[in-house]
Amino acid sequence: MGPRGLTTYKRVSGDAVEYEVFARKTRAEPLHQVGSVVAPDDDLAMAYARATYDEERWCEMAIVRKEHIIELWQPGEGS
Amino acid sequence: MSLSDLVLSIADNKQMLGLRYAEWATRAPSLEADIAAAAMGLDDLGHSRVLYGCLEPLGADPRGPERESDPASLRALAYFDEPWSEWAQFVAANAVLDTAFTVMVEACVNGSVDVLQHRLRKMLLEERYHFLHGRSWLKSGIDPKPLNRAWREAIEWFGPPDGEVEALHREGKLSLGPRELRARLEEQLETKSPDVHVDWKGWDPLRRRSRPGAIDEQTFGMLRGLEEKRFAATKEA
Repeated sequence: MGPRGLTTYKRVSGDAVEYEVFARKTRAEPLHQVGSVVAPDDDLAMAYARATYDEERWCEMAIVRKEHIIELWQPGEGS
Repeated sequence: MSLSDLVLSIADNKQMLGLRYAEWATRAPSLEADIAAAAMGLDDLGHSRVLYGCLEPLGADPRGPERESDPASLRALAYFDEPWSEWAQFVAANAVLDTAFTVMVEACVNGSVDVLQHRLRKMLLEERYHFLHGRSWLKSGIDPKPLNRAWREAIEWFGPPDGEVEALHREGKLSLGPRELRARLEEQLETKSPDVHVDWKGWDPLRRRSRPGAIDEQTFGMLRGLEEKRFAATKEA
């Protein structure tokens, strides 16, 4: 056991997946990225996103697997 | 037992569940799980306050002065008597007991009592995330010992097939009786409960448990604010 007492505990089965978290406070504003979470499945990612980013009164929150985001270009690349 | 007694039992259990969750806010297997433990703890402590607030409108507050001195007068399950030493205990409580309390809250919200219909509805939205958390960790596989204990205590907590919860169901105050509550819990967790034989003769209808005992002294002191007073005295010295 490590200093946290449980560091050798196996995380939930399956590989951890990175999810981006999006939210907005009013219907008038667009969804924007508020952060990210790492979880082994969608259910746990929803629970973690809600627990981690619940400090604001969001009217909408959504998560998406980072691997499902299709990038058109990245910083430093011209459009 | 009245509906107030049942609501007090849900409140006391949610208070203890919230405290035990909070104890794991720096001990869970990942930072995300730490944060989830803290958030769920806050939720359940908040839910207990809402439930305590329903007792007066229900017309009979069963809380007596003995709750200040006798930890055995609190109506929480034996599962919460001692702090959990293993993550599997957390997961079993999160998946089975938290969901058991939620299906009872559902039965209150869908029953005929106005104050419960309105005040408890928001809990169900928040509890969705507790359920997702518990079910996902449960699917990863945990030690069957705490899991079986959580199932047993949940089934005992729903009460005997012909007891007061069933009577409240027949009166329409609860939308589900013990049999339906157990079936709903199984449906939610997508699993059959283990074979549980309860000797209802030894069951305490107020505390809704068979095991004797009570919460540990330190937790009881914390509930009464004694731990905070001790801290304040140290600061002054």
